[in-house]
Amino acid sequence: MLRRLMPFAMLVAALIVAPPSRGRHSRSASLDVGIPLEAIMRENGCLEPAQARDDSWPPGWNTVAMAGGDVPPARVVRDPYPTFHGVAVDPANDVVVMSDSNRHALWTYPRTAGSLTSKEAVTPLKGIRGPATGMMFVASVALDPGRREIYTVDNDIGDRLETFSYDQMGNVKPTRVLDVPHQAWGIALSQKRDEVAVSVESSRMVVVYRRGSTDNTLPLRVLRGPSTGMGDPHGVGFDDVNDELVVANHGNQSSGVFRREMKTQDADSVRSGQPHKDPWQGGRWEQPSLTIYRADAAGDASPTRRIQGPKTGLNWPMGISIDTDNGEIAVANNGDSSVRIFSRTASGDVAPVRVIKGSRTQISGPMGVAIDAKNDEIWVSNYGEHTAVVFARTASGDVAPKRILRNAPEGAPTSGFGNPGAVAFDSKRNEILVPN
Amino acid sequence: MHGLYYDRKNDEMFVPVALAGAVLVFRGGATGDEEPIRTLQGPRTQIVRPDTLYVDVEHDELIVDSGTDSILIFDRNAKGEAEPIRVIKGPKTGIANMYGLTADPTRNLIFAANRVGEETGRDTTDSILVFNRTDSGDVAPRARIGGPRTGMLKIRQLQADPERGQLFVTVKNNRENYDPKALMPSPWNPERTGFIGVWNATDDGDVPPKAIIKGPATGLVWPAGVAINPETAEVFAIDSVSNSLFTFSMPELFRRPPSTASSSGR
Repeated sequence: MLRRLMPFAMLVAALIVAPPSRGRHSRSASLDVGIPLEAIMRENGCLEPAQARDDSWPPGWNTVAMAGGDVPPARVVRDPYPTFHGVAVDPANDVVVMSDSNRHALWTYPRTAGSLTSKEAVTPLKGIRGPATGMMFVASVALDPGRREIYTVDNDIGDRLETFSYDQMGNVKPTRVLDVPHQAWGIALSQKRDEVAVSVESSRMVVVYRRGSTDNTLPLRVLRGPSTGMGDPHGVGFDDVNDELVVANHGNQSSGVFRREMKTQDADSVRSGQPHKDPWQGGRWEQPSLTIYRADAAGDASPTRRIQGPKTGLNWPMGISIDTDNGEIAVANNGDSSVRIFSRTASGDVAPVRVIKGSRTQISGPMGVAIDAKNDEIWVSNYGEHTAVVFARTASGDVAPKRILRNAPEGAPTSGFGNPGAVAFDSKRNEILVPN
Repeated sequence: MHGLYYDRKNDEMFVPVALAGAVLVFRGGATGDEEPIRTLQGPRTQIVRPDTLYVDVEHDELIVDSGTDSILIFDRNAKGEAEPIRVIKGPKTGIANMYGLTADPTRNLIFAANRVGEETGRDTTDSILVFNRTDSGDVAPRARIGGPRTGMLKIRQLQADPERGQLFVTVKNNRENYDPKALMPSPWNPERTGFIGVWNATDDGDVPPKAIIKGPATGLVWPAGVAINPETAEVFAIDSVSNSLFTFSMPELFRRPPSTASSSGR
């Protein structure tokens, strides 16, 4: 069980420290190391032109002698290119949209973008990025083709579900902003039910809102509690044909999260946000899983099916995609850089019907997956490389993708930073350690 | 993960895992899909949602944020479902929403960074609470660094420098709220940036830092982590919004003091 945690733990990026710089930087010196990075960021639309302006000095600081000040760094490690996180494809409007958790952006590309031969980045049709957008550490992305809307959600910092129009681009405000619980990750849209659902990692729940909700509108219902079997949920999806809700779980469990009431709308007759007593104390690990519920499940509802166990190969399941035309569920399996496709009706400890995995696939730390049943394709967004890769829908094994969509020149390294919260120095190896 | 500690003496890495209520210990050179050499998890540990920790190699102790407003002190080699040997917890401690934790074994001090939740509407009580290393139970802190002159708003990782009696503090200096009426509503607008502040380990009250790394040339937006290498006089800062790792050369902060005795005055 612990083994499944290792990829996350080892996202610790060990970066070799360059020889120490000699001499003191002038206080007016330019950010010489950063300039090439910033030039790339401006070129690819990842840096707003506004200059930094610092107007928030605390009271009394201007009369106190302080060492340091506005000191340029001697070295900077930063990835100037986007890092794809979630992916959603819209065959009706022939676009694919990816969220970018590195530069806090949404990028829209033609559905047919990418090639097997190009070594250059593909220019997006549109990019949405900048302080006005409110996007922070964005995770999943979802599309409403009929209304031509893009949804994304902030994970860990921000706590907002932002909605943009297909027609927006640049540093623009969202058309709607909805406050959601801390550590939201996945987004599911139900056209049939006119609802949007959000998965929440640490609180181990799915929160369901009326589509179009804004600001601090209360959810319609909450799915949470020990019977749900959810553990650190990520990917989530509505199946409007079979009236189901599918959730991908990492399996992490910690106590105390069900004790607080989650307020829901008055119409929530089952009071789905009422507190529950945890059946355990402290933390523990469960096996990763897919849990499937009725679409209207609320409160401490048990799943109708559960796909879980060693045969599944699930290991850090992130985004999911439900193909109702072919009765399948695809999972971006981050822990072993694979995509696993299960029968929609599978249950228990079952093997996937297909697995796309291996060096030829160029799948690397996938975060998102999107099935395009109309064009018989499957999209995979890579976090470990500057790419998204496209396969035939029925691809299986160690196969090459049909197309590769690059957001950086081939070979551009990825730092892997995603909302990093700490740093340590390994003085024995002269390495800097960064946990994500 | 919001914390990490490297123990040079024993060549081990300590990682708090908030989502699974655990502390994992890896060998220092661990890489790839490698199992931890020790795991601390379970109800008897009192670890629930740990975000930050510190290893006191002088006293062979592991100091952990429980995630439930308490500080847990374990034997450094604790594993499994070991119980803490001391717990600092209770209303007198003032501990709330801890995101940073460090210690100065030379001065026998533990530092805990409080961060008041935005939902409370209070934004000036973020502070660093200072406890005696051997404190236990519901005890008041011996000192509190906080107040408007400190500039502390949303404190993250702390890093003590026992040799010089310094405390490095990451301050995000901003909120995560979205104000739709604002021209640039998002807090990563670089008009209000975070900073690294340096205080004396013996400071108490509403005192400004003795040194800062702050301003547009620094590149810092939301610094969340800080580490130091006194040998090269460098300060490392990780930024959670710009997803950047900065190295600052700060020789003026790492001059050896005439003696290791602490000084409270400036």
